[in-house]
Parts: sequence; C-alpha cells; structure tokens
Amino acid sequence: MPKVIFQIEGATSVEITCQAGDNLLELARRANVAIDAPCSGNGSCGKCRVKLLEGELETIPSRHINDEEFETGWRLSCNCKVVGDCTVFVPDIASAYQSRMKTADLSSPQELAIFESCQNRLRESGIVFENSFRAVVVEMAEPTLDDTMPDNERLTWAVQEALDVANVKIPFGVMVKLASVLRENNFRICVKGELQGDTFLCMELSNPDDTTIVGCAIDIGTTTVTMVLTDLTTGKLLAKGSSGNGQIRFGADVINRIIQQGKDGGKKKLQDAIIKETLNPIIVNLCKTADISARSILRLCVAANTTMNHLFVGVDAEPVRMEPYIPSFFGWEDLTAGDLKLPANPLAPVLIAPNIGSYVGGDITAGALAAGLWDRDEMSLFIDLGTNGEIVFGNRDFMMSCACSAGPAFEGGDISCGMRATDGAVEAVTIDKHTMEPTLTIVGEPGQKPVGICGSGIIDVISELFRCGIINAKGLFVREGERVLRDTHNMGRFVLATAQESETGREISINEVDIDNFIRAKGAIFSAIDTMLSAVDMTVDMIDTVYVAGGIGSGINMKNSVNIGMLPDVELEKYQYIGNSSLTGAYAMVMSDAAAAKCAEVGANMTYLELSTHPGYMDAFVAACFLPHTDASLFPSSVQEM
Amino acid sequence: MSFVPKTAPFSGKINAVTLGTGDKAIVIGGQNVLPFYTFDAAIENAPKVGVEISDVADTWDVPGLVDFYAGCTTMADRAKKAEELPGCDFIALNFVSADPNGANRSVEECVADAKAVADAIAKPIVVLGCKNVEKDADLFTKMSEALAGKNVLFMSAKNENYKTVGASVVLANGQKVGAETADDINLAKQLNIMLKGLNVNPEAVVMDIGTAAVGYGYEYAASTLDRIRLAALQQSDADLQMPIMALVCNDVWGVKESTASEEDEPAWGCREERAISMEVATAAADLTGGADAVVLRHPASVAAIQKFIAELI
Repeated sequence: MPKVIFQIEGATSVEITCQAGDNLLELARRANVAIDAPCSGNGSCGKCRVKLLEGELETIPSRHINDEEFETGWRLSCNCKVVGDCTVFVPDIASAYQSRMKTADLSSPQELAIFESCQNRLRESGIVFENSFRAVVVEMAEPTLDDTMPDNERLTWAVQEALDVANVKIPFGVMVKLASVLRENNFRICVKGELQGDTFLCMELSNPDDTTIVGCAIDIGTTTVTMVLTDLTTGKLLAKGSSGNGQIRFGADVINRIIQQGKDGGKKKLQDAIIKETLNPIIVNLCKTADISARSILRLCVAANTTMNHLFVGVDAEPVRMEPYIPSFFGWEDLTAGDLKLPANPLAPVLIAPNIGSYVGGDITAGALAAGLWDRDEMSLFIDLGTNGEIVFGNRDFMMSCACSAGPAFEGGDISCGMRATDGAVEAVTIDKHTMEPTLTIVGEPGQKPVGICGSGIIDVISELFRCGIINAKGLFVREGERVLRDTHNMGRFVLATAQESETGREISINEVDIDNFIRAKGAIFSAIDTMLSAVDMTVDMIDTVYVAGGIGSGINMKNSVNIGMLPDVELEKYQYIGNSSLTGAYAMVMSDAAAAKCAEVGANMTYLELSTHPGYMDAFVAACFLPHTDASLFPSSVQEM
Repeated sequence: MSFVPKTAPFSGKINAVTLGTGDKAIVIGGQNVLPFYTFDAAIENAPKVGVEISDVADTWDVPGLVDFYAGCTTMADRAKKAEELPGCDFIALNFVSADPNGANRSVEECVADAKAVADAIAKPIVVLGCKNVEKDADLFTKMSEALAGKNVLFMSAKNENYKTVGASVVLANGQKVGAETADDINLAKQLNIMLKGLNVNPEAVVMDIGTAAVGYGYEYAASTLDRIRLAALQQSDADLQMPIMALVCNDVWGVKESTASEEDEPAWGCREERAISMEVATAAADLTGGADAVVLRHPASVAAIQKFIAELI
C-alpha cells in the first residue's frame, strides 16, 4: 500500500497509508491535514495547492497551475491521484484558514465595545436580563440514627426553603452523585438548576465554593464558529474563542455541505465535524480558561443559518436545497446538551434561534434581535454579509427579510488571488489616481508580505480602480500603465504586488474575471435590498440606520462599498457596524428569558421574501451588475475622478 | 362647444439620427409619442424600412427572391435593384460570410464589396456584421474608413468590442454605430452608457435591443421594446433615447416556418408565403412595439410593411 507523507509548513509531518488511486485531497481530510478547499475538490477554486517533493502523483492539468509551477512540483491536491509512495509539501497558507482566520470574536476592544453597546441597547428597549437559572448554597443537618430522612428528601426540604418553591425535581444524573457530594462536603453544598414555575430542577451539585453557573452562546457560521461563556448570574463574559468550522473540508458553501450530508453516513460526518471537531474543543478550552467545570454550563444558545442548524442537530438538510425549500424545522424546543453530546450539563437546554426560511436562519433572527430594529420607529436596514447575504428591513411595526446568494467572493473565493482574511491578506487598498501605484494594508505582523486579497480588500481595489478610471462601469480595463497587464487572450489585470513583492513568489493581481465575479456578488446584495425596498414601496432615503454585520464587516470601507454600488447611497453616518450580531443575539438569549422570548417573537413576525421567485429580482440584479448601477441616480456620491 | 381631444405627448424624445447623405438621406427617431400615436403629436419621421442584401444572397432559393434578383451577380447589382423597390428607405449589407467560423471571407474583400455598393447607390447604407466580435471589430474599422463621408450605420458594437468599434466607426470616421444587446433593458442601457464614456455622441447611436421571430420567445423582445420606449419617453432616460432598429431578416429566415420544405410539411402550405408571413408579422410587431426601423429581405414583405406604415401615420 502506498505511503503518503504530508510535510506541513510550520507543523509536524503526517504519514498515512492508502490505496493506489486515492484522491490526495480526500486523503488529507482522512489524515486530518487541513487544506483549504472552498470548492470542495471540484478543481474550480485553485486554493488547495500543494507541492510534490518526492515520488509521483497522477495529475489532471489545471488552469490554476501554469507550466513553470507544474515543473517545480505544484499541484492542486483535488486533481491528484496517489499512485505510489510520495511526499507532498502543504504550504502554510493552505491551512492558515483554520488557525488564524480573522473573525469577529470579541477579541479586540472595538468589538467588545460594539458588543456592550448592543447589550445596552437591548436593556434600553426594555429587555430584562434575567433568567431562571439559580445556584443556591444549602446547608442540611447531617443524618443521624435519630434523623433518618433520606438524602433526596433532605435536599428537597432544603431547596424548598431556600428558594421558596413547592416542588424539587432531582433527575437521575443528579441522584446518582447526591450521596457522595453531600458527604464530601458535610451536607453543605451548592445546588445549580432551573426554576420552572414553582418547581426547581436540580441540574448539578457542587462544593459550596463553586457557585458559578454558566451560559454558552454559540454562533455557527458556514465558515467560522465563535463562542462566549458567560456567568448566568452576573452576565460577565468568562471566556471567548473561535475557530474555523470543521465542516469546511466538506465544501465552502451550504449547498456543497447539504450534498455531502446526503451521502451515505454524511449526516453523522458533518455533525461530528461541527460538534466533535469544532465545538467540543472550543468549549473544553474555554472551560479551562474560565476555570469552570463543563457541567456548570446550564444553558446554551446556538445562532446559525438554517443549514448549519440542521447539520448541527443531525436532521436531514436536503429539503433546504430542494424546491419548495421547506426546512425540517424553524424553531425547536426541548433540545438538551445531552441529546447532542455536547460537553455541558446533559440537562442543559440548547436554545436554537429560530429560522424563518430556508435561507434566512437563526443567525439573522438573533442578529435582528441584537440590532434592535424591532424597537425603533425609524426604518432600519440590517445586512449580514457573507457567503449568503441576508437582509432585514423594517421597524417596530413590521419586518421583512430576504437572502441572496452572493457567492464566496466576499471571503476570497472565486477570485484568482482571493483568500480568507488570515495573515498576508490584503485587507485595504488605495490607488494613486495619477501614477496608478497601489498602497496596501496587510493582515498580520508589520512587515508581512502579501499572500492574497480578502473581501474587504477586493471592495477597495475595485472601488479605487473605478475611481481612478482604470476600469469602466463593466469592470473592464480602459487605462493602460505599468500595473495593468494583459494575457494572451487580452484579458486585463491589475498587479497589486509583483512576484518579488509577494510572500509566495506569485504575482498578486485582480483580473477582469475576478472583477466580474465580484460585481455579480455586489449586484446580488444591492438588488436584494432594492427589491425588498420596492416590495414595500419604500426608497433608500427612508432608511434611518444601516446595520452592517458579519465577519468581513470589521474591515469594510463603507464609502468604497457605496462607491461601487454595493450598499445604498445614504449618509455614511447612517452606517453602523455591529460586528458579530448573531453571537451578540445568542448571548442575550442565554442571559435573558425575555430576550429568548423576544427572539422567537421577532422570528415569528418577520416576513420572508423569496427572491428567487420574485418577478422583479432578476431585472434588479442585471441593473445592479454595473458600477455603480445602471441607474446612476441611485448613487449620486459615486465618483470617477479620472 | 366643440370637442377638443386631449393630447398627451411625452416630455422625453427619441433622438433623431440621420443616415446617408444628400437628398436620399433619412432620419430615424425624433418623436415624443408612442409608436403611431399621431393623435398625441405629429410623427415627423415615419418608421423606415431597409432591404437586406447578403453576401450569400446567391444561396437564397425562394422563387420570389430568385426572380427579383435575376441577373444580379454582385452585392452592388442587388443593392441597385433593391434601391428601386418602392418602400425601400435604405440598404442593409449583411456580411454573413466574413464569419471566421464559416466562410471566413477576408476583410479586404468585404470592404471592396461595400465600396462597390456605396459607389452604385444613393440611398443610405447600413452594414450588418458577421456576429463574431473580433472579426466585426476589424471589419467595421476598415469599412468605416473606406466609406468615410457616407454616413453609414454599423450594426453593431457589443459589450466585447464596443471600444474598438465605437472608436473607429464614430470617433475616427464620423459614422453611426449600433449598440447590440440581448433582450434586456439594463444591458441596453449599460452599453449606451459605456459608449458615452468613450465620448461617442449619443446622437450617433442606434440600438439593436434584440428581437426574435414571432412565436420564438417574442414576448421577451416585446417587453424589452415596451420598457425601453417607456423609459425613454416617460422617464426621459437619456441613456435609452436612441432610436431602435430591428434586424427582422436575421431572425425570421432561419426558423422552421421559413425553412421547412413543402414536402416535409405539406399541411403548412407554400414555404415562401410562410416566410413572408413570418417576416411581416414580426416586423409589424416590432414597429408597433417601438422599433424605428426594420430590415427585411423579401420584396413582398417590404411592400406589406410600407403599406402598414403609410396607413398608420
């Protein structure tokens, strides 16, 4: 049997034996070697580059690898079949997406401030931050030969008295450890549980010094997962963390994931990828950081898109993809951590922020809850930018939502030099209109050389190219210069960094096809906004605030986004970046029963507009696939200076 | 008190574009009312009819066409003949054989043909390309130079070649250019904006917004025509106020109603009559929808459409 060695840049090598004919990318997945493959091995994205060091691979040629690169050993792992022993080099950038992805996970003071202000806004809207979870220290008389009351009655009496409740439920999991916990602590213990009307459900027993009860808020994104642990009594953040979604290796977008889960054993694989591989390690880590036991986590809340929700609970997601696009569930009550084998108290309820359609999920209801548009008289627009763009518009009287498929362009997919926002990604660009020289801002340590370009960088480049008259409204190059090169098919490209200037020795540029892909993505977003506004017979000047959420949001330049016609042309002061609103909403739901109820209400009150069947959408889309828009009067502040 | 009908001309107006030179020159567009709405305002320039002369006309096998062009061997011969046809306002030279995926006739030969026609006739000339964007760009560049001063319309610039075509045809040689898009109001407008960005005067642009033979998805063409015309007139959208020319001949002569022989489809009757019916029906629909000029192949179609226009204006 052939043996394949993956030599991973900056990590220890991994060795695996396999069958001749095995696909290299699939083999890497089996060996748990992280190789970024947004297209899930279709050979279309060109991101899964590896270098053959020794041995042989049977390779289908790809337009992503030129002859020179092929000579030096570069291959697309998805296009390679193992034929014998070999050693392949996995470059750092292929796996960086998992470890160093820039995400809105509250790790910066700005994000924390945004998070705080969202919570304050909810309080101002009358959401009381109270929940029914309690930790109470009770002291009982130790049993004697005269005092023969059994342990469970003793505990019941004590809790009844301490919390003034009629009934106390002691489930099996608690009962089995009752005797030992009581005796270890001389009958003075902390009881953790939930008040359910006049009944108290005991969920955990601990020593009297451990009185922390914990809530866990989770945002499961298609690409990244972020999580916070919070003290259910005080609301204090105990720990926060994030990581790439382990399902990425099954495809970059929800459709590919749904296809994968439909295969034999697929549901289990994808559920394991999210729970076992992604959530469990983060929860365990965060518990360690916060110095708490996982059994003290008494409530969890998950905010995720509809597909992620289905894959998380292990319910068939196929109906999400198929007409008439009806998911298996919108909301779901009575789900517990034990059902999903999450490392938390097995009795802990897992709240799921309700979905409202196949493509508008709990992340949006939670986000809308956090943005607070449901409590305002003025009209607000809420936009969550990602692989899918979701949009909510409305105020306290009504809310409409819709989703559009923007494609992976915002996350660097479908763009020749695109990458996710990890080290080396060009995240901001300005161009001198006379010399056409670009100035780049790069993610990472000072001195980091560019590797590729991420979503916010692409917005900047296109806006700047357009402003400087280097490209026309269709995204075709119309100015010539040192930085504008053309290939044999006369396709133009703009060089951001030459091969010498880049980290990888490959030129970093943006070509006409990239620009065209991106114009479609921005066109999808704007036409969705446009269609929704016209569906309620309103115009952009009626918008009071635009809340922009999502991972790419933090770096996004609103002025440039307006300049290219992606976001509506309203005063820039009306734009408000609200970070990972889905996580903020999930936090509020964990902490507050009122917020959880409000989220369900928000979900139930939101009207879902299905764009794919909306007669005007296609038309609005074509009109929006132009810089800034076919109807230039919609974007008076968009300028072309040259 | 006598009844005074209320008229409703629009504030927006279609650009008036002159083709050709001298006393045979024609003007298309210029109106501020819907097609044939003479009761709202006078329509100064009636819709115009062009006659198609193809460089593969010797393969036309419909008896009426064979008879009409009997004795003609060159494009110039045919153009001279067609020019005499009552109702013919202009001649449309169709360079089908320039297509590199077909006969791939050289640009020089095509230019020579066009030159010969221009020398032989007085009526305005419209040049139809072979639909290959690269070849057309080359063909139009050379031909517009060779026909300088004749005020010829070149159909058409597309998204892919508008820069070359716009620059050579209009900017360098002062001719008129068509802007071709496929049945979409936004794409039509986008191309016009890009031509404007090239400094092409909007008054030098005629649109080919795409048409179809009736029954072949014609509703798309119809709704596009309607929407473009309403945007131009009602909303005064300057980027859509160019007159529209419909190349009916290109669509109707390839559909099976026009090609199926009487042996194959005995129930359908005479092939030539079928083809004429398709051409007349399509052209009439285009004109009532908003086209300012149509290009037709068959003399009988020209006669019918001429009568149609005359009775409505």
